[in-house]
Formats: sequence, C-alpha cells, structure tokens
Amino acid sequence: MAYFIFIGDMFVMAFMIAIVIWVSMKSSRESTNKAARIPLEDEDIDG
Amino acid sequence: MPDPAKKLSVEIYSDRVVTTLVMFSVIWAVIGMLAGVYVAAEMVWPALNFDQSWLSFGRLRTFHTNVVIFGFGVSALMGTAYYSVQRTSHVRLYASNLAWFTCWAWQIAILAGGISLLMGLTTSKEYAELEWPFDIAITLVWVCFAIVFFGTIAKRRIKQIYISNWFYGGLIIVIAMLHIVNNLALPVTLTKSYSLYAGAQDAIVQWWYGHNAVGFLLTGGFLGMMYYFLPKQAERPIWSYKLSIVAFWAFTYSYIWAGPHHLHFNAIPEWVQNLGMVMSLVLLAPSWASMVNGIMTVSSAWEKLRSDPSLKFIVLALAFYGLATFEGPMLAIKSVNIISHFTEWTIGHVHSGALGWNAMITYGTFYFLVPRLVGGNLYSVRLANIHFWLALAGTILYIVALWGAGVSQGVLWLSLDDLGELRYSFTEVMAAMKPYYLLRLVAGILFFIGTLLMIYNFFKTIVGRRTIAVRPPIESLAVA
Repeated sequence: MAYFIFIGDMFVMAFMIAIVIWVSMKSSRESTNKAARIPLEDEDIDG
Repeated sequence: MPDPAKKLSVEIYSDRVVTTLVMFSVIWAVIGMLAGVYVAAEMVWPALNFDQSWLSFGRLRTFHTNVVIFGFGVSALMGTAYYSVQRTSHVRLYASNLAWFTCWAWQIAILAGGISLLMGLTTSKEYAELEWPFDIAITLVWVCFAIVFFGTIAKRRIKQIYISNWFYGGLIIVIAMLHIVNNLALPVTLTKSYSLYAGAQDAIVQWWYGHNAVGFLLTGGFLGMMYYFLPKQAERPIWSYKLSIVAFWAFTYSYIWAGPHHLHFNAIPEWVQNLGMVMSLVLLAPSWASMVNGIMTVSSAWEKLRSDPSLKFIVLALAFYGLATFEGPMLAIKSVNIISHFTEWTIGHVHSGALGWNAMITYGTFYFLVPRLVGGNLYSVRLANIHFWLALAGTILYIVALWGAGVSQGVLWLSLDDLGELRYSFTEVMAAMKPYYLLRLVAGILFFIGTLLMIYNFFKTIVGRRTIAVRPPIESLAVA
C-alpha cells in the first residue's frame, strides 16, 4: 500500500512538473499577457 | 469583409438571463439561509419543530443545504458563467433561448425538489438527496447548460480561452460525471429508488461525489468567478496568468482523489483512506496558489478597498478560502480526524467555506454585477458596508462557536474512565453544547440580516430599470 501511495505521488509530481514545463515553454510572454488582459477589454457599453 | 456597423446593431451580449439568474440566486439565498437559521434555533430549542414532520430537523436541514448549494450557489454560478463566457469570448451566448430554458428549468427543479425534501422524499445520500425524477431533470438542465457554455466558447472570436472558462468548464464536466455516476439507482415507484451500489461501495461512491461536489462546484466554480470578477473590480490583470493555469491543472488532478477522507476509520480499505489523506494534503498547494494569485492581484489596488464594498467582500472571501483550504487538509489527517469526525468542528469547517468563501465571493460579485447590469449605481454603499461587517462578524462567530463545540465534543467523547469505559454519555456531551449552539444561532442571524440588507439594496438599485445593452468590443467584430 505504501508503494502504491508513493508511486501515485510520483505520478502527481511528474504531472505537475510536466504542466509547469509545458506552460513555460509553450506560451510566450506576449500571449500570456494578452490572455490575462481579456477581462479588462471585453465590452462596449451602450446604455 | 462583414460590415462591423451592421453587426453592432444586432449583436449584444445576452445579459437579461444573467440578471434573472442573479435575482433568483439572492431569493434562494434568503430562503435557504432562513431555513438554516431555523434549524440552528431547533438545535437550541428542539420544541420549535412543533411536532410537524416538515419542520423536523432532518427534513429542514436537508432543505437548507440543497437550497443554498443548488438554488443560491448554482444559480449564481450559472449567471456568472453566462456573463463571463460571452465577454471572454467576445460573442453573445450560443443558443440564448436554451440559456433561458436552463434558467427557468433549474428554478422549477429546485422549488419542486425542495418541497419533496420537506415531504420526506429522500435518497438519504448527503447533497444528493433528491429522488430519481429530479436527478433526471437536473441531468437534462445540466446538459443544456454545457451546450450553451461550450457552444459559446466554440464560436469565440479570440484565440485564448480565458482561465475562468477552464474552471467553469471543469465544473460543468466533472459535476455531470459525479451526478450521473452517484445517482445511478433502481426506481421502484415514482418517489422511491434504491442505489445501484451496496454497503461500503455505496459509501465510497457517495463521498467521491460528495467531496468533489464541494471541490468542483463550491471551489472550482467559484474560483472561475474569482478569476473573472476580481481583475474586473481591481481593474488589473490577474497577478500571474501562468500560475493560474498551473493551479487549475494541479487542482483538477488532485481534488478527484481526496473523497475517502470522509470515511476515515470506517469499513473501507485502509489504503483508500490513506490515499484520500495524502491527496488532501497535496491539495493545499493548488488551493493556495489561487489564493496567492488573487491576493497579489489586489496588492496593487489596496486603495480601492477603502471605497469599494464589492472588492472588500472578494478579498475577505479569499482570506476565508485560504483558511478553509488549510483546515480541510488538516482535518483529513487521520490523527486529527479521530477527534474532529462526527463533531461540530466539521460543520464549522464547512461554513468557513460556505459563508466565508462561497457566499462572500458571490456577494462581492453581485455588488459589482447588479448595478452594472442595469447601468446604474448601487443604491447604498453604506448599506453594503454594513452588510460586509455583519457578514464578517457572523462568519467568525459561527466558526469560533463550532470550533469550541467540535473540539469539546471530540475530547469528551474520547475521554475514558479508570475502567476504560466512556466517561461521558451522549446526552451529557450534547447538554454541554447548548452555549455553542446559541452562539451559532446568533452568528446565523447576523449573517442572515446582512443578506436581507443586500436584497433590499439590490431591489432599490434595479427598481424601474432594465438590463442595458452591452456589445462585444468593436475591434473584435471588425476582424471576425
């Protein structure tokens, strides 16, 4: 059982690390900044 | 190229359905919280059930949880998801008539379901008490919700899918899976069914559902709300967009394993309990990643906290979110759980999340949203500030009272005499709880009065007004 939990934890860690690497490598600073600003530039109010 | 001016005349966001859902949400908040206050009073004065079965604690408590979670909470999530998904996609809602269907069908389901619970019709599965006809109706509405939401994303005019949509999308997909699997049952009459699972398997499936309903509905869904409305209110982008993506995947991956911590020391395999405990501890990281991201977003806009009641509510909600997501993993540790399980500590923990996180972030969002939807100003900022302090006082008092009650119960129940027998009887322990229960009632009343002030404030804000027309940014229409 201890091995099961240990291996499971390793999978979780590997998944997290893979996500961090993927996010860091795949997305440019420009596209990330653009995505982050989406809520600030999303409507024209026409009362 | 399409004429943007022509498109402008026809394409506006579908906001009337959002206004309706927000109004239903606050109505359910009042009804659900009133029921909560009443059952809290019954804990102090049991005679308040007046020997009426529908007023008994068992039925009214179930009514309370279902109405606040599915009436207040899901209506708020549906409304804010519709509001934000069209804006972050720069298109109006896909199949807006279907969105109206989800709005009304959901309210009817909650109303009829709530009445059925008061009539004593229940599966007896916590947070999944509604009988099979309601389960089918809920599945139907949920699928329509998914069609509207993902249909809107599919026709979006911008490349990126904003982070709030990942959380709302996770909510829709995972809750569908949990609801269908946990409610698989054999109907024997129109109002009675039996679960497809038996014994320990039933318990494991139930708490896989129960914990992840908390996870993906009450945590993930409301994080979606936070990731959209906090930057709007602070008028700043989220502090770290990359951190939000990492937090989403880490949250989604680890939450789904944590359910068995509800079944510590029960008749399920020990390795399942240990797995649930370990994964609950892992959960602390993604939970706090979102909290840190939210707090840091506001860190450059502290001055707005002095004047903006909605931002105050959201920042306070983040603080309680941090508290609740720290306390949860601690309670999942078996050596802590042996004291806390089956005590009021659990109820206090649930309410630090439900009042402190879910209700507060919804209130903050609504204080921002309601005036904006009708194109006016909030009727009274002063009333909103009073509401803020009542909500804060009520939540803290509630948590402290039930911490006291829970720790006392745990210690008293584990106390043995020289012969190794229980030192205190159940009735003796319960009699010692009365002062705590009275404090909890006072806390609930404070919180409820605050909610009444909010509904009055909203009524005065929207009376005589209509939902205004808001369109996607013109550049977006021009390039489409």
